[in-house]
Amino acid sequence: MREELRSWAEKLRERALAAGLSFPPVLFEEVGPEEMAMLAAYGGFPHRYPHWRWGSEYLRYRETYRYGLGRIYELVVNTHPVHAYLLRGNTLLAQKLVMAHVYAHADFFQNNLAFRPIPKDMLDEMGHHAAYVKKAMERHGARSVEEFLDMALSLENLIDPHAPYIQRPQEAEEEERPRERLRVRPYLDPYVNPPPEPPKEAEEGARPRPLPPKPTRDVLGFLAQHAPLAPWQKGILEIVREESLYYVPQAATKILNEGWATYWHTRLLLPLLSPEEAVEFAELQAGLLASPGLNPYRLGYLLLKEVEERWDKGRFGPEYEALPLGEKLRYERPVGEGLKKLFQVRIVHTDLSFLEEFLTPEFALRRNLVAPEELPRFAEAKRTLLFRLTNAGYPIVELRDANYANRGELFLEHAYEGMELDLKKAKAVLENLHRLWGRPVHLKTVVGGKEALLSAGA
Amino acid sequence: MRPIERDLLRFKEIVRGEVRKRVREFLTREELFGQMEGRLVSIPLPQLELPKIVYGEPWGEGLGLGGAGSEGLGPGGHVPVAELELEEFLDLVGEALRLPRLRPKGEGEVTEEAFRHTTIARKGPRGLRHVRRTLKESLKRSLLTGEYRPEDPLLVPEREDLRYKAPRSRPRPHAQAVVLFALDVSGSMREEELRLVKTLSFWITLWIRRHFPRLERRYLLHDAEAWEVSEEEFFRAREGGGTRLSSALLLAEEILKGYPEAFYNRYLYHFSDGENWQGDTPLALEALRRLLPGLALYGYAQVQGPYGQGRFLEEVQEELGRQEGLATAEVRGKEDLPLALRRLLGG
Repeated sequence: MREELRSWAEKLRERALAAGLSFPPVLFEEVGPEEMAMLAAYGGFPHRYPHWRWGSEYLRYRETYRYGLGRIYELVVNTHPVHAYLLRGNTLLAQKLVMAHVYAHADFFQNNLAFRPIPKDMLDEMGHHAAYVKKAMERHGARSVEEFLDMALSLENLIDPHAPYIQRPQEAEEEERPRERLRVRPYLDPYVNPPPEPPKEAEEGARPRPLPPKPTRDVLGFLAQHAPLAPWQKGILEIVREESLYYVPQAATKILNEGWATYWHTRLLLPLLSPEEAVEFAELQAGLLASPGLNPYRLGYLLLKEVEERWDKGRFGPEYEALPLGEKLRYERPVGEGLKKLFQVRIVHTDLSFLEEFLTPEFALRRNLVAPEELPRFAEAKRTLLFRLTNAGYPIVELRDANYANRGELFLEHAYEGMELDLKKAKAVLENLHRLWGRPVHLKTVVGGKEALLSAGA
Repeated sequence: MRPIERDLLRFKEIVRGEVRKRVREFLTREELFGQMEGRLVSIPLPQLELPKIVYGEPWGEGLGLGGAGSEGLGPGGHVPVAELELEEFLDLVGEALRLPRLRPKGEGEVTEEAFRHTTIARKGPRGLRHVRRTLKESLKRSLLTGEYRPEDPLLVPEREDLRYKAPRSRPRPHAQAVVLFALDVSGSMREEELRLVKTLSFWITLWIRRHFPRLERRYLLHDAEAWEVSEEEFFRAREGGGTRLSSALLLAEEILKGYPEAFYNRYLYHFSDGENWQGDTPLALEALRRLLPGLALYGYAQVQGPYGQGRFLEEVQEELGRQEGLATAEVRGKEDLPLALRRLLGG
């Protein structure tokens, strides 16, 4: 890395720490556009298992850059230390902006609760996964492994995003652990350590154990445990599941995380700008915030600014909440707690709770996101937005029974909330599930306003 | 090879396989026709998308809170579409349909321009720096920012001012071609037959252009008389009176005088239902005899509707069947297109 860049990285790091951010070491690396496209396709990692979909993504990023339709300025990976890639050839100011941005992301990774259970050595994990898949390809043929991966990847959103947060009860494990064996001479072993008694038939009949014991969203995990598959196939299901879980918190905090990083790069960099740089900075910032649609940078940034302002001006608490809208806009009670509140927000919220709590009509009015005459539609628009952020925008599907109708069939249920599934795709997924499970599979959902059972293999 | 290149190759291999498998379907996909001017062809390959359980309807628009799409510092979400360079796509189609390679005829050789540095770029090696253009940029900038002082006109080029001589991105083949399409609008061409003609002429154009990037196109309509029209007009169906196939050939002969054989590969395509006025066929064949030696190809496609009784195809084949440069095909429906296309291109 260039010396100039290195010294700026150090300077910005010190400023970030002094401002109250806390993060592990950050390794910056400048890369060219092709390498950036590769890293983006690989989800930020230098090694992934072989699969054509990375190639398809890579092509898209590369062509997007080549035809000047967009460039990736920055990539940050949630590892320890944090790895960050800067696009070589950007102006020094752009790199400074990106580095400040990256420090804030690193702070977010370290402090936000959603990231707490995520392993920090994913770099190694991804490498292991790649090696595992390659080995399977050598042994079982590249095409059959690829085909299996295609099937597994079509199930990649059938996970329980909360799985890493679930504390498993201790007893359950004990029950399964084999009793400790006393060490004796081999010929005495059957007498000293007798094999466990087989359950009596009467008992078995009295306590039918449902499978899964409770309905679960972790379909991939269930299949990896119970589907009649070869060990390497189960391994691949585990890999897909684990990688999918790794990206859950990033998807769930996109708006907050980008808003946080934008807030901090602005705050850390603005005081350091020369007049000429200020113009370039304004341009970069405009490019970042002005792009249309649901722009996580803009929405996150504006909301955080709003939170800061509200807590600086005392616009919170029961007294404030009770005011009518017009008075809320004028209310002021200087308490100066803005920054403190921001640090709290970055720890406890995900996009869903963040927007639920702070995306208010007052905010939308103040920032000109809605015109006053649009206010009646605000609640509905907010509801749509929140729905879209729920479960990363995927339908929620539970596995309810693996012995449906007492025939070893899979029974899944879509938690219908007013929006219907893409039937063609759902059926294709069911076909894949059927191939994995070997018995018919069913998905209960709603079609045309009526309950319906989609099936494959039946 | 880097692993990502291997993934990319595998992806392209899969795309190619899909294109080959579904090439007949692509032939008649009219939504492709509009895209062909660009460099990339988006190919709808739903098979290549890994299916997932997702919602069916798109999300509603949400005031200023956000609609679709976003751009920023990092990579965005993924939209799986297979895109191919037009050339690559055409080669695949050509391969799958076994379309023949077109060879430049006569003296209109493909000569490539020397690899010369004829444009200006913002990046390049120091040795190719273009001093005059660099200083010009520097002057422009200093005038704009107000740094320029006439009493001390010193120009210090900055990074952004630097200009370099650069090679043209692609050497251009010199071979040129002209293609004439003639369409018989006398009687029985209906909407459906016209669509077949459109499809054929579209792919013929692309395939010729694949070999001769400098391609000119001319369009003729005829019933008893022939007249020249624009490309759009060509595909608008209408009905005329009687038929004289010779009229189109004579007009083509006239137009082709503007494209000397020595410099152009000349293609003439003629679409008709094959019904001709009695007495005109000898004239048409006579005109063809004159035309054929100077043409790269004369393609005659007899597009017949349900009542087609035309005999011109047989007559041409009887009289001129052995002649080089003659390509004929009979088209009764969509299923004949792949073979007709191959035949009409001389395969």
